[in-house]
Amino acid sequence: MASPTEQPVRFDHVTVAYQQSIAIEDVSFELSPGEFLGIIGPNGSGKTTLLRAVLGLVRPVSGNVVVLGAAGRELPNVRRHIGYVPQRRALDPQFPISVRDAVAMGLYPTLGAFRRPTAGEQARVEQALAAVGLSESTGHVAGHLSGGQQQRLLIARALVQEPQILLLDEPTSAVDVATRSAIVELVRRLHAERRLTTLYVTHDVNEVLPCVDKVLYINRTVRAFGSCAQVLSRETLEALYGGRVIFAEEGGRQYVVVGDHHA
Amino acid sequence: MLDFLHYGFMQRALLSSVIVGTTCSCIGVFVVLRGMAFAGSGLAHAAFGGVALGFLLAVNPLFAAVLFCLGTAGLIQAATRRAQLRMDAAIGIFFAFAMALGVLFIGLMKRYDARVYGYLFGNVLGVTPGNLVMMAVLALVVIGTILLFYRPLKFLTFDEDMAEASGLPTVALAALLLGLLALTVVVSLKTVGIILVEALLVTPAATAYQLTHKYGMMFVLSWIVGVLSCVTGLVVSYVLGIPSGAAIVIVATLLFALAALLSPKRRKCKVCGHESSA
Repeated sequence: MASPTEQPVRFDHVTVAYQQSIAIEDVSFELSPGEFLGIIGPNGSGKTTLLRAVLGLVRPVSGNVVVLGAAGRELPNVRRHIGYVPQRRALDPQFPISVRDAVAMGLYPTLGAFRRPTAGEQARVEQALAAVGLSESTGHVAGHLSGGQQQRLLIARALVQEPQILLLDEPTSAVDVATRSAIVELVRRLHAERRLTTLYVTHDVNEVLPCVDKVLYINRTVRAFGSCAQVLSRETLEALYGGRVIFAEEGGRQYVVVGDHHA
Repeated sequence: MLDFLHYGFMQRALLSSVIVGTTCSCIGVFVVLRGMAFAGSGLAHAAFGGVALGFLLAVNPLFAAVLFCLGTAGLIQAATRRAQLRMDAAIGIFFAFAMALGVLFIGLMKRYDARVYGYLFGNVLGVTPGNLVMMAVLALVVIGTILLFYRPLKFLTFDEDMAEASGLPTVALAALLLGLLALTVVVSLKTVGIILVEALLVTPAATAYQLTHKYGMMFVLSWIVGVLSCVTGLVVSYVLGIPSGAAIVIVATLLFALAALLSPKRRKCKVCGHESSA
């Protein structure tokens, strides 16, 4: 098992291309254990590619991705220590599988062919379901859950792995505002309790403002990387959103508001 | 009533029906859930090339069909990965190619051999002891492999992208599944034939799909429907003197119709209230 004190993620001048098309170019950054990184950028800027590179699902054409001490062909070996919540796509409503079974799939990479889950591993499934508020839905058909619940299921499946790194790719896309807030709060709480190194891709900086340690603004290359104060300048955000932004404060929390605002 | 079981050919037919019903219904769960029906049909047609080659070279046609089907499965997988073709396009290319080879091999035979065409529709009453042994061995390979890779195949079938992200070798697993499908087709050739094997790959699992929301239970129900269809079809064909392959497929289809009519999935899910249209 990778050491919890191992540097979780380091990108050294990484370029990834799909055939002739460069997705990310000369990307460099590094994270310390337990840090929460918000990744922002417009559509097609390479955010998902960056997460896929962490998982070793895409190979850099140049540069080096190091995850928990593994690099190159060794990267797939550390996937079991990485919890991944993909961009939401509806689960097949007809696939015959319960919520509990779908979450338990997070154990599969470590179970092998015949070993039955131990009592401890079964308890992990129940704990993950409880952590995301799905304890009441364990017997439901996974594909029958609402969009927000399906997102919680995917987070639970990632947690069951007891990951050292949690990757979330726009986990609140295609859910309503109330569900979005609940999911963000869930991720914030999980990070606070477990100190997982977390990489959270989003279009909405307001989602991650309260929890992130660092922000990476990417648009094929790294446009800015650092603390919120360093990255989330008016100039950066106006470039990201393509319009005027204002900063607002409410109840001690900062918000970014986009668009023309007349008094 | 059971007098016919005294005949050796009927005992072999019954055993082969159980083997075919079991193998097709198990692999059929993946065929239905992963949308591989066209792959099953394509590999069945590819088997025709192997059978024809077997007769041309005077070797066991089922053995030749195994090599042909596995080769076609490999070409389909390679074309899908390397030429970045959709799988249905790759299947369309290679099953037609294998069929064309079959026609070519028949044309190269010095004299007409009607036995080749017997594999198109199957003849369960013509199963020899040698056929039976080969079918049993292939069936054991298929079922054993499914049991060995039960969990990874379940993850692959439910969510291929997530299975890959979790560290499972999804490309190898998908290739394995295609290979198992190819072997299953060969297991079934003698009993239901190239044309009708598709029905056994799809119908029992599709019937089970109507009746359960549980993955493991889908295998059990599919197996019951598969074996019941094959054995009932065999008995009906014997009693009525009709072709066995056709009788088996008709029974399977009637069971599907019954399950679709009575499907609990058409009612509101008792647990979560979700209304299903399956």
